[in-house]
Amino acid sequence: MLKSILLLIFLSFCIGTGVWLFFLYAVKKGEFDDVEGPKYRMLDDDDDD
Amino acid sequence: MNLSNPASDPAVASSRSAATCEHCGLTIPPGELVADEIDGRRYAFCCQGCRMAYRIIKGAGLDRYYQRRERRTERVEAAHTSRFDDEYLQRFVQNGADGAELNLIMDGIRCASCVWLIEHLLGQTAGVQSARINFATHRALVRFDPQQTTPAEICARLTAVGYLPRPFSLDELQRSADLERSSLLLRFGTAVFFSLQLMGFSLALYAGYFQGMDATARSLLQFFAAAVATPVVFYSGWPFLRGAWYSLRNRLPNMDLLIALGVLSAYFYSLYALTTGQEIYFDTAAMIITLILAGRLFESGARRKAAAGVDRLLQLAPARATQVAADGTTAIVDSSQLKVGDLVRVQPGERFPTDGCVAAGATEVDEAAVSGEPLPVLREPGSQITSGTLNLTGSIDVRVTAPAAESFVARVAAMVEQAQSRHAPVQGLADRIATLFIPCVILIALGTFIYWSGQSDALMHAVTVLVVACPCALGLATPTAVMVATGRAAEAGVLFRGGDILEASAGIGKIAFDKTGTLTGGTPQVVEIAPHIGTSEELLALAATATAGSSHPLARGIKAEARRRGIEHPALPGGRTVPGRGVEQPSAAGMLLAGSHRFMSEHGISPEKNENVTKSEVYIARKKVYYGVLRLDDRLRDNAAAVIATLQRQAYATLLLTGDQPATAATVAGQLQIDEWQAELTPGQKALVIDQALARGEKVMMVGDGINDAPALSTATVGCALAGGTDIAVESADLVLVGADLGKLCFALDLARSSMRVIRQNLFWAFSYNLVAIPLAASGKLLPVYGAAAMAISSICVVSNSLRLRNIRENQEC
Repeated sequence: MLKSILLLIFLSFCIGTGVWLFFLYAVKKGEFDDVEGPKYRMLDDDDDD
Repeated sequence: MNLSNPASDPAVASSRSAATCEHCGLTIPPGELVADEIDGRRYAFCCQGCRMAYRIIKGAGLDRYYQRRERRTERVEAAHTSRFDDEYLQRFVQNGADGAELNLIMDGIRCASCVWLIEHLLGQTAGVQSARINFATHRALVRFDPQQTTPAEICARLTAVGYLPRPFSLDELQRSADLERSSLLLRFGTAVFFSLQLMGFSLALYAGYFQGMDATARSLLQFFAAAVATPVVFYSGWPFLRGAWYSLRNRLPNMDLLIALGVLSAYFYSLYALTTGQEIYFDTAAMIITLILAGRLFESGARRKAAAGVDRLLQLAPARATQVAADGTTAIVDSSQLKVGDLVRVQPGERFPTDGCVAAGATEVDEAAVSGEPLPVLREPGSQITSGTLNLTGSIDVRVTAPAAESFVARVAAMVEQAQSRHAPVQGLADRIATLFIPCVILIALGTFIYWSGQSDALMHAVTVLVVACPCALGLATPTAVMVATGRAAEAGVLFRGGDILEASAGIGKIAFDKTGTLTGGTPQVVEIAPHIGTSEELLALAATATAGSSHPLARGIKAEARRRGIEHPALPGGRTVPGRGVEQPSAAGMLLAGSHRFMSEHGISPEKNENVTKSEVYIARKKVYYGVLRLDDRLRDNAAAVIATLQRQAYATLLLTGDQPATAATVAGQLQIDEWQAELTPGQKALVIDQALARGEKVMMVGDGINDAPALSTATVGCALAGGTDIAVESADLVLVGADLGKLCFALDLARSSMRVIRQNLFWAFSYNLVAIPLAASGKLLPVYGAAAMAISSICVVSNSLRLRNIRENQEC
């Protein structure tokens, strides 16, 4: 019983940590620097590259 | 009550008591001296408040405070001077006539109390004339006397109290804002992640508390909880801890101290509980930090939005420019490095980096962004160029007439900034309360702890008091509303000079208008064409051809009318202007003449003259034959009637003040249904009329075009100027309508009234929230975690309420 709880806690911790690391990566990469821009950029015509 | 005088030391403390206040250390203004005898010694104070504060502190046996206070400032001087060298900082100093200016970005500003602290600290530094901080952008503008102090000294003082100043340039500002935001995001994300884990463990522990739980599993979960709570408290909560440390070191209580007290007491109490096998409260500590960070993130978003208007303005002028050296070679340089007299090449499609005048080449310029003028304007050698306007057709060289920091765009942006950092008088109240508030709260928390000390949750109740009392909402109430309102206004081309102007505008009862240039367009327009020979169109074509080379306002009126009717008029060479008379223009069909009646007489032509006409007349003749006359008048603005009607519906009294004839004034007042009018006034008399109205207790706004109305504008409760383009008069007005659009007046007044309503709602909400929450917490009815949630919610409510001001639309009728 205790063993399975330990395992589950450990698993959830791993998954959570994975998400957290991904979040850290995204912030460092600048994904959140401009949260307003993309919705307008989507409507720009001249993005034909 | 104020901070200590940093320049003083204990040795002179007693001798200075004759001139400075014993409590706050400020110089006592003449005639304000309050003397008191305490323990047989005579003390001098600047006000009753300081006297009472001194008595209270002394009465409590805490007079050692005054000695400690002096010692702190000494240590500070030595510690950080080496970090900022004057040579580097000197590059960012702008020297003016009455002192030097230094722009700084301040890292670590959290709340209104920080702004208050820095402003007052700098205000008391010898040699600093004024210091103003924009809460929205965290920029500080310090004005100082270079003889008495140096930039390095100023920076050292700021570092000493825990804020990191950096000299300002635009890139630096953006980088700092981005860095602070991403750091906040990281801390918040981390806090959310670990708090979620923690919630899971806590849930299990709560369930175990009610249902019973295996002791090993329980202590295991508790250890897990401690492990995930630690990074939340010490990484995510680091900004609060650091702020609290500085506040403690400087003995200037602030909000961070409250938060840190709440969090650390919960955290260490839980660690202690862990070893003794009692219930733990790590979740409380973690949730407080997570929720407050959520509020901060939200707030920083609002600040970004409010500051966006200013940034947009500044971005009109490009940061890089192509400089042309004396030998003809070009180099790309920072716009900020351009000096007066430098030559800059601007290609078609580029915006002008700074103000200047055309040195070589000719082009058409789109000035819509600056003046609102929709038609491109021709710019030839000698003509003025305004920064931020768009070069359309040709490559030209521009001689710089103002450095980028003083260009038109920068001046307008500076006005907006200044407005955002000027405090509304209501804010003074909130600030004072916030600083008095903290010691009181700590006392209440202490009292609560002592009262409940017999019971196990005494600490919890005390912690709750500390948490709910955080005066965030109080501190945010006014600045957020002022920031959002001025930002929204700037977006629509309405520049409020400060929060106080916003407040004053809201209380206006009477609005006085100038006529020329305000209710009228300020440019003569053709209102009547009276041909003597031929048709109106022929006469107009003739007039336009004759005046093609002239830039006289009447000539421009004629050409504008010709353009409007689609009449072609060839530009011919060899035109000659006779100043004050008219123009002579040779053409294939003979000499064209356009000018006054007198001009015609001098050429031997004698057209009939209508003596009753008050409008400007331009007589046209060709080959000594009189062809007809054009009459021009300064017409009312299209929306003038709608604006006046809207204002009257909103119960504003209206008044017309003009230097014109009574007949003209009566006509205009009649057309627009203005309540009262006064004519033939000199600029001084206009001011006198306003002054008399003020003496009767009326709140008067003067609307003028800013030049001949200047005295009236400055006399009025609120002076409102209509500014087109480079009009420097905008600097003297409290309220500026960019693009000279009278319709924006309705919007400005709407916005002012709404902002005051929002500020009152905010203050009411923040006060009543604290009034309700603190007794609840002290009586032990509120768990700390609910206190934290309630606090964040109150901040979010205040900020959201302020953000509502963004949605105010311009009145469509105006």
